[in-house]
Amino acid sequence: MRKSMTLTLAAGALFGLIGATSAQASDAEASMLANTCNGCHGPDGVSQGPAAPTIAGMNKFYLVESMKAYRDGTNRPSTIMQRIAKGYTDAEIDKIAGFFASKPFGRVAMQQTDSAAAAKGQALVKDLCESCHEKDGYAAEDYPVLAGQMLPYLRNNLADFKSGMRSIDANPNMSDKEKRKKKRTLEELAEKHGADGVEAVLQFYASRK
Amino acid sequence: MTKMNRRNFLKTTGGAAAVAGATLAAPTIANAGSHGGKIVVVGGGVAGATTARYLKLGNPELDITIVEPNASYHTCFMSNEVLGGARSLSQIEQTFDGLKGMGIKVVKDSVTGIDAAKKTVTTAGGSKLGYDRCVVAPGIDFNVDEFASVGDFDKITHAWKAGPQTALLRKQLEAMPDGGTVAIVAPPNPFRCPPGPYERTSLIAEYLMHHKPKSKVVVIDRKDKFSKQGLFTGAWKNLYGYETDKSIIEWRSAASTGGLDSISAADMTVETLAGGKEKFDVINYIPPQTAGKIAHMAGLTNDKGWCDVDKTTFESKVHKGIHVLGDASVATKMPKSGYSANSQGKVCAAAIVNMMAGKPVGTPSYVNTCYSIAGEGYGFSVAAVYKYNGEKDIIDGVAGAGGLTPGDASAEMRRREVEFAYSWYNNICKDTWG
Repeated sequence: MRKSMTLTLAAGALFGLIGATSAQASDAEASMLANTCNGCHGPDGVSQGPAAPTIAGMNKFYLVESMKAYRDGTNRPSTIMQRIAKGYTDAEIDKIAGFFASKPFGRVAMQQTDSAAAAKGQALVKDLCESCHEKDGYAAEDYPVLAGQMLPYLRNNLADFKSGMRSIDANPNMSDKEKRKKKRTLEELAEKHGADGVEAVLQFYASRK
Repeated sequence: MTKMNRRNFLKTTGGAAAVAGATLAAPTIANAGSHGGKIVVVGGGVAGATTARYLKLGNPELDITIVEPNASYHTCFMSNEVLGGARSLSQIEQTFDGLKGMGIKVVKDSVTGIDAAKKTVTTAGGSKLGYDRCVVAPGIDFNVDEFASVGDFDKITHAWKAGPQTALLRKQLEAMPDGGTVAIVAPPNPFRCPPGPYERTSLIAEYLMHHKPKSKVVVIDRKDKFSKQGLFTGAWKNLYGYETDKSIIEWRSAASTGGLDSISAADMTVETLAGGKEKFDVINYIPPQTAGKIAHMAGLTNDKGWCDVDKTTFESKVHKGIHVLGDASVATKMPKSGYSANSQGKVCAAAIVNMMAGKPVGTPSYVNTCYSIAGEGYGFSVAAVYKYNGEKDIIDGVAGAGGLTPGDASAEMRRREVEFAYSWYNNICKDTWG
């Protein structure tokens, strides 16, 4: 579980406040705004793969955090999302995030995964990831769903965490304690278990049905 | 609503030739008393299919019929990968099964007329379909210009509507001897898929580089600049020796050639005013374009050959009750792209659902995202988020948003753009045809 509930709630209240002040500027319905995303992320945000992530069924705060990070160019490298996210106000982002958060996370993409690596990954995940990405990565309450996410997307993001392009330190919604824990875990995964260990974790999550 | 009933419909269509159309179309006529209202969609491409699907999702009671002359749809997007050999033709084929599965009727027939006053659509197969609202999404047709003697495109391809033409051009490229030269005659604005001719140039160059290294591709452009020009020429320099004496690609602006003079299928020559006559082994002639034929026949086009619409509903400015969207419409500033057509389909569907329920049409939101693949692991994109600007009556890009992949994007980011281009293909097809 995310330990900094106070911080999370404070962030949520802040988003809500910004949302309220600029709400008048945008009266497009949530579905109208959100449906424009489907061309890349799939109907109702469920991706057919191979790489664009499923955004359905994520927790709303995470979606808001991601869109704002893309928009503000702070701590999330991207190809196209930094250009698209700039097209939306806080209020619109709030609506879009709410829309996709309310849809079920579908697992429909035909992903080729390595069952031996996934089995090895299961042990690593229990040890390293489960305390945040609960229920084998199916949980969406506090952190992004990883189970059934697109393999290239997971791989790109883990590479970005490693290179520092996706900065844990710059995340405004994590406590210092959380940041330390996440960085320690990623370091342990890379250093103790190497590239094979990293790949095993990715294979485990991508292979969840 | 239609005044026909099943009996006089069958009388009208009579002959055996009309059977295919009749058996499929008959239930539509018989079902005239539908509660949700009747929609006829002309064309099962991106714009038509997306509108139909989102209409059905928005109001399952609607009685929706798509009239489409082909049994399936080959997407223009990714058809350049078929030309380059990375994809097969069947990998760009979309069926209508998903639409049928959600209760949308898909009739294989061609629309020959639309009567806006009587609210009926007539087809080559002899059907007459009544509608409450009609959606016209015929895509593009080719303008007959002075080079139209090129004729039926069986020797000089257009390959600008995907399918058999794509297969034919691919076959010609495969049959061409090493050392041969391919000409791509790129069209004047406006046309479907502005970066398309240059992605095509790139992927043909890639094929030649690997399989016929002594060959070349020459673009004879009818413009002086083109979409994503900096990104394409950058890619050509990185991948195909562009602007060196070993370049696989040569691009000629309209200014440099003085413009087209003649094209001969018999001699396989292209003649320009300044450059004289030149022989090629393969000629791909992409003609100037206009709205699909039925838009002209139904009187929906303006003096430039495109359809003016209300940009918040895509209802025709000529005929009430008829909506035109996708490539055939004037949707300034959205480009004529697959993503635009998909995005417009959702705006149009939401507007129709609301109009038929007697509600305000609502505020539209639109997006365009367009990927180009210039070679293996080398992709880039352009994107825009749009809002309707009532003062200027345009679909205006949100300031500060959108734009191109940066020219100095890393190799890793260009590689990811290809991954996302493939994801985009799968997702937009699912979102369009179900």
